[in-house]
Amino acid sequence: MILLTAWKNVWRNKSRSLVVITSITIGIFAGIFAVGLMNGTMEQRVDAALNQEISHIQINQKEFTDNYNIKLLIDNKNQLKQMINNVDGVEATTLRTLITGIANTATKSTGVQIIGVNPENEKQVFNLHSKTIAGTGSYFEKETRYNQAYIGEELAKELNIIRYRIDNKMIDRLRKQEVPEETISKLEPFIGERFPSQKAFSRTIEKALSEKETANYGHIILDAAWSFRERSKLTLTFVDKNNIQTGAMFRISGIFDVSNSMFEKRNVFIRNEVLKNLTGIEPDKTHQAIIKIADRDQSKEITGKLEAMFPDYQTRHWKELSPDLAMMTGMIEKFNIVFLIIILAALSFGIINTMLMVVLERTKELGMLTAIGMNKRRVFSMIMAESVFLSLVGGVVGIIVSKIMLLFTANTGINFASAAQGLEEMGFSSHIYPTISNTFFITVTILVIITGMLSSIYPAIKALRLDPSDALRTE
Amino acid sequence: MKVLELKNVHKVYNSSEVKVHAVNGITLDFEEGEFAAIVGPSGSGKTTLLNMIGGLDQLTEGQILVDNTDLSTLKSSELIDFRMKNIGFVFQSYNLIPVLTAAENVEFIMNLQKRPKKERQQRTEELLKAVGLGDRINSKPSKLSGGQQQRVAVARALASKPKFVLADEPTANLDSKSTETLLEIMEELNREEKITFIFSTHDARVVKRARRVVTVEDGKVLSDELVKENAST
Repeated sequence: MILLTAWKNVWRNKSRSLVVITSITIGIFAGIFAVGLMNGTMEQRVDAALNQEISHIQINQKEFTDNYNIKLLIDNKNQLKQMINNVDGVEATTLRTLITGIANTATKSTGVQIIGVNPENEKQVFNLHSKTIAGTGSYFEKETRYNQAYIGEELAKELNIIRYRIDNKMIDRLRKQEVPEETISKLEPFIGERFPSQKAFSRTIEKALSEKETANYGHIILDAAWSFRERSKLTLTFVDKNNIQTGAMFRISGIFDVSNSMFEKRNVFIRNEVLKNLTGIEPDKTHQAIIKIADRDQSKEITGKLEAMFPDYQTRHWKELSPDLAMMTGMIEKFNIVFLIIILAALSFGIINTMLMVVLERTKELGMLTAIGMNKRRVFSMIMAESVFLSLVGGVVGIIVSKIMLLFTANTGINFASAAQGLEEMGFSSHIYPTISNTFFITVTILVIITGMLSSIYPAIKALRLDPSDALRTE
Repeated sequence: MKVLELKNVHKVYNSSEVKVHAVNGITLDFEEGEFAAIVGPSGSGKTTLLNMIGGLDQLTEGQILVDNTDLSTLKSSELIDFRMKNIGFVFQSYNLIPVLTAAENVEFIMNLQKRPKKERQQRTEELLKAVGLGDRINSKPSKLSGGQQQRVAVARALASKPKFVLADEPTANLDSKSTETLLEIMEELNREEKITFIFSTHDARVVKRARRVVTVEDGKVLSDELVKENAST
C-alpha cells in the first residue's frame, strides 16, 4: 500500500515528474552516449592497430627494433613458424623482413620503412589488403614482370603519385553529387589543369570559391579531383646486407587507405623474396614473426609461453609494442568513471530538489499521516520509494533511449568528417561506431537507483522532522 | 466505561517573551458512546485541548488517560502506534490522500494495522455504505464534494476501530445540507455502533445535536452540560 501510494504520488504532479524524468533520461543518455563514443573511438583505434599495424605478438632478435639492423636475423624461419603455430591460441603467423630506406619519385623523396611480406600469410594476420582504394590496383594480386610496391595514400600524396586534376569527368562527378551549378561554373575555367599536390589544389579551390562553398563542398571536390595514374612508379633505395647502397624501381601495386596517416606515410610493402634478393638476406632467414591470436585478452599469457620457448629472442605483446594504446585504453576507462560521477551528481541534485519540494508541498498531508498513525519508518520509506521510482523511471527510460540510439548508430556509425584530418593524423578513424558493454549498462542502472536512494535520504529526514500538530495547522 | 480522562491538564506555550497559558487546569471524563461537543470562541484553547487528547501535542502538566493508558508515558514512536490503534481523526479540511480513491483512503489505516486483505475490503465497503458513499468507492477525492470527502474522512477514522473519534471543527468548511447529512450519519453511527465522538466546534448546528456540551474559555471549562440524557442508553 505504501509502495502503491508512493507510485501514485510520483504522478501527482505529472509535469514536474516528467521534467525530472526527462532530465534524468537526457543525462543518462548523454553520459552513456559520450562513453559509447569514447569506447568506440578507442576500440576502433585498437582494432585498426591490431588488424593493420602490429597484430598481437611480435618476435624478433633482441635489439632489432632499436635501429632495424639488417643483420639481426632469425634462422630457420620455417621451423620457428611451425613451433609458433603449434602453441594453443595462436591463429596465424606471418614472417617479415624489414629495412629502412628512401622512397623517391621524379619530384620528391621521403624516408620509409620497407617491409618484405608474403601476401598470402599476411592476409591471415592483417586485413590491410582489404583497405586498397578502389581503382588503384590490388594487394599484389596481379602477377607482373615488375617489382611491386603497396603503399599508403598519404605517401602517395607526399610523393605526388596521387595528383589532383580538374577535367570533364571530375565535373560530371560533382554534378552527380549534386554540387550546385553555380559552384561548378566557378571551377570550369580550370578544366584541363593538374595540381601536383593537395596543397596546391586546395589553394586554387579556396581562391576560386567562397568560404561557404569551400566548407560545404571542399571534401567532395577534393575527392572528385583525386587522380591516380596506373603504372605509376617509385624507386626505393637502401643499404644491403653488406652495407652497400642499392635500390630498385617498383610499380605501384595498390594504394591503401587506413585511418592512421602516420602509418600510411611511413610504410612500403614489397614481396619478401624481392627484398631478400635485393639485400642478400638468405631465404631461410627472417627479421620478425608476427602472430595473431584468437583472443586478444590472452596476449600476455601466450607471450609468456613464447618467451619460454624462445629465450634468445625478444617477444612482445601489443600492449608493450604500443604502450600509448594500452595507456589510452586505461585512460578511457577512467574518463568513463569521471563522466558517470558527473552525471550521477547532477541526477542527485535534481532528485534532492524535487523531493524537498514534494515534502514541503505535502507538509499537511504528511502531518495527517503521522496523526492517524503512520510511523516514521513508513513515512521515510514512502518518500524514499517515491524518489527511487522517480529515478528508476528516468533511469530505465534513459537507458532504453541510449540502447536504441546505440543500436541505431552502432551499425551506421557517426561520421565526424569535419574533424577527419585531425583525428586521422592521430591514428583515429573519423567514422565512429559507439560501443558500450552490457556490464556498463547494468552498472549504470544500479548506480542510478543507488543515487536515487541516497539523494532522497535528506528530504525523507526533513519529512520526519515535521510535527504532526504543526503540520495540521498549515493552511 | 470511561474511555478518556483528563486530570488537571495544563498547556503553556513559551514564546520568547510571553507565556501563554492555553489550557489551564482542565479535568474531564468521557464515557463510551458519548456524542460530545467542545465549544468555545477561537483562542479559547479547544484546539490545543483536542491536539493533546489526540496525542499530537505534549502537555505541560497533568494527565490524559485513554482507556487507562497515560499518554505522557508513551515514547513518540509508541504514541504514533497508540494513535493508530485507539484514536480516529476527522480534520476540518478533510485531509484525504488525493492520489488514492475513497476506498483506498479508508483502507489505508487498516493497511498500517496489517489487517488481512479480505477483512480490509469488507470493512471498507461497509463503512463507505454506512456514510452513504457505497457508489463512490472508486472515486478520487477531487471528484467528490466537500461533504462527501468529509464522510470518507469519517469512514477512514472509523476504519481502525478506535476507542473514540476526534473531530476538529468537522463542519467548518461545509454547507448546511452537507452538515446535516454528516451529522445524521455521525449520530447514527454513534447510536447504532456505540462509537464515541468528541468534536470541537463553534457551529450552532453541531452544538444543537450534541448530547453533551463542554464550553471552554480562557483555557478553563466554563460549563459542562448533558443536553439529552435519554438518548445515551
